[in-house]
Amino acid sequence: MLEFGHFAVMTALVLAMVGIATPWIGLSTRNGVWVSVGRQAVLLNFCLISIGMAGMIYSFVTQDYSVKYVFATSNSKLSLFYKVAGLWGGHEGSLLLWAWVLSLFCALAVMIHWKTQPAVMPYLISIESTLLTGFLLLILFLSNPFERTPFTPPDGKDLNPLLQDPAMVIHPPMLYLGYVGLSIPYCFAMAALFSGRLSEEWIKTTQRWTLFAWLALTTGILMGGYWAYYELGWGGYWGWDPVENASFMPWLIATAFLHSVMVQETRKMFLVWNLFLIILAFSLSLIGTFLVRSGVLSSVHSFATDPGRGLFILGFLTFMLCLSFGMLILRSSKLKSKVVMESLLSREAIFLYNNLFFVTAFVIVFIGTLYPLFIEVMKFQKVSVGAPYYNAVFMPVAWGLILLMGIGPYIPWRKCSIAAIKDILTVPFAIGFCALPLLYVMGMRDMYALAALSVTFFTGTAIVRDYLQLTKMWADRYQLKKSSAFLKVLRQNPRKTAGILTHVGVLVMTIGVVCSTLFQAEKIQAMKPSESVMLNDYRFKLIQIYPVTGSNWSGHEGFFEVYDKNNKLVASLRPQKRLYEVSQTPTTEAAIHQIYTGHLFVTIPDVSPDASWVRVRALHNPLVLWVWYGGAIMGLGVLMNIFRGVIFSLGKKKVVVSPPVAPSVEGAPPLGAVG
Amino acid sequence: MMSQKRKPMIISIVLILACLGYLAFTNFGENLVYFYTPSEVVALSPEYYGKKVRVAGMVVKESVKIVPNSLKMTFQLSDGQQTIPVYYEGAPPDLFKEGQGAVVEGHWDANRQFHSKMIMAKHSEDYMPLEMKQAGVNLPKKDLIKTLNVGAD
Repeated sequence: MLEFGHFAVMTALVLAMVGIATPWIGLSTRNGVWVSVGRQAVLLNFCLISIGMAGMIYSFVTQDYSVKYVFATSNSKLSLFYKVAGLWGGHEGSLLLWAWVLSLFCALAVMIHWKTQPAVMPYLISIESTLLTGFLLLILFLSNPFERTPFTPPDGKDLNPLLQDPAMVIHPPMLYLGYVGLSIPYCFAMAALFSGRLSEEWIKTTQRWTLFAWLALTTGILMGGYWAYYELGWGGYWGWDPVENASFMPWLIATAFLHSVMVQETRKMFLVWNLFLIILAFSLSLIGTFLVRSGVLSSVHSFATDPGRGLFILGFLTFMLCLSFGMLILRSSKLKSKVVMESLLSREAIFLYNNLFFVTAFVIVFIGTLYPLFIEVMKFQKVSVGAPYYNAVFMPVAWGLILLMGIGPYIPWRKCSIAAIKDILTVPFAIGFCALPLLYVMGMRDMYALAALSVTFFTGTAIVRDYLQLTKMWADRYQLKKSSAFLKVLRQNPRKTAGILTHVGVLVMTIGVVCSTLFQAEKIQAMKPSESVMLNDYRFKLIQIYPVTGSNWSGHEGFFEVYDKNNKLVASLRPQKRLYEVSQTPTTEAAIHQIYTGHLFVTIPDVSPDASWVRVRALHNPLVLWVWYGGAIMGLGVLMNIFRGVIFSLGKKKVVVSPPVAPSVEGAPPLGAVG
Repeated sequence: MMSQKRKPMIISIVLILACLGYLAFTNFGENLVYFYTPSEVVALSPEYYGKKVRVAGMVVKESVKIVPNSLKMTFQLSDGQQTIPVYYEGAPPDLFKEGQGAVVEGHWDANRQFHSKMIMAKHSEDYMPLEMKQAGVNLPKKDLIKTLNVGAD
């Protein structure tokens, strides 16, 4: 079964190369059959790589430890769930998953857009096949998961215990969906460059792909944060670790792209800029893979430290970058926008600032992440850039972005009169400013937190004001009740409604981040049974320490009782210190009790040999759940945006007979009319 | 006419970038933490005493001494040539073990002691700081390849 899978993947490599070449032959001979051959290659490749995946999963499930990779990331004591998840528990399997997702998306894109975008297809197939070839070469020649050892070890080395966690099982595939999802708009952009059809059609066509990729990337990042929060036991969700940054950088650029495309759609500006952004976003996905997989950034995540692979990925990356940006430079003379910005007080100007801030944020993270590498190469010295740098510089950019979020959606395109600006901004500004002394009185002294919450209030007010005003207008015009008028307003512009919902998610998350950081209370101390530690208004009392065992681990558990200020029992917490027997790896399992929307959090990172005392880390993180609630709202907003045609037409049919003007962009005008 | 309209935009962009650039520049330097080996730490001149640095080395076997019922512990950190005493206070990470690599963050003082409140241990079980390899410590060949790029954190 495994050899069959291995053979299937080898065949896929050959077919991927076929997929690169045939569309070009088709283009030069003007013979559509060649392009169809490319299409078959793409579809078959998905089947073949799926067989490869199935072969690997079969080896995992049947516990075939003669396979090197299975031996390294699995064990007979693991549950079926983690046996399958072992597939992406290491370097080789992760790459196979990458390639599989790529082939899946490519096949989907070809099937969905084959009829509507025939002119793009040859380029799409060829470029996607180039990417796939790169990854398959890497998989088959430099990090082969199908490799066998000459003998069969009795049992596997076990999956890294830190990865034996549901959030961690979903986190990598989610990130890959995001990374690879960006390849579709990227390929469309490249197709536009190659074919010279440089109108905004590629943007409209790939809008949902971009939204989907963004959603997956966001989910992946947030899941990684949640995993770090409770599994690593440090009670924080973001540490500006180089690998976290590697996934954050494409996110920043993809977000900038999602915003700036709206300018091109409406005002036909930023043509070169949008192409630049999507190329950069996808390149950063590749760079992210490179940084993590090559092991150049030594951090908790890098489990591969093989220079050969790094060199290959670097070469591949250089090739893709030169190809993409080279094409962009060649074509940029054709891409002069004829429209000029008319006023600083216009929506396009706000979008410009939005992009400026996102790109600056990216540069900040990029410098911090890569500077240590630079210094190491230049001076043979090792440095690291501390989290305070990122916090101090990134936060002001974030405020700027939140502020713009309260202006951009409400200011008209082209130009806006001073009177209109006053009308839009007076109330939000007033409330934003009033919030400052109020928060100060409530005990906030941190300048950064005050600024962040003040802009959050500003934007929140701007959103509410806009909807109140629109509702009132519709209610007056059509003599409706306020509630049905509000619903009408929401339905009127589905894209705006979805977008604003995402913005609300950002605001919720901002509040969560600020409060959980600012009001976090932390104590680390050694404790014996019956001793207590006070944290804000809560008293953590250690009752006893006793041994526990699980299916593949043994360890100690501490039993804590938490009392509030009235000495009432709030929660019983049981943190653990485990030792995974097969790999002899210790882990610290946090115990968490949710209180309102915050967390009481205890770990016992160290148990004394005779288990008479433990080192205890206790935390109170108020409002920390808002971070993930905010994330969920953002995700909901984007989902609504992706399916807006379906969602918003459901209710509408009852009211209007004519089909809704669904902003379905899939059925773009026939290509001949545009080119 | 057109440049008239563009002027305020360009000025505002330059202003914003200048502010952020200033912030980045001032914050960058003071948040750089340098990595040293124990040999380099021993050779530090007095003006570096008390400055935050990171030291990468191996935790010497049977050197970890835990002060019962407290957060304190001491151990020796070595690069094969020099060994420094580390006074640590806090909760050590899961992967902190005798005979394994660790990176400690803290400061070196005039009493020739290293005081730390943060230890970072490597994920990988066969971790060994780069400097150990340079110091000629024997490792199985397979591990050498794996450790080529390790050594930071």
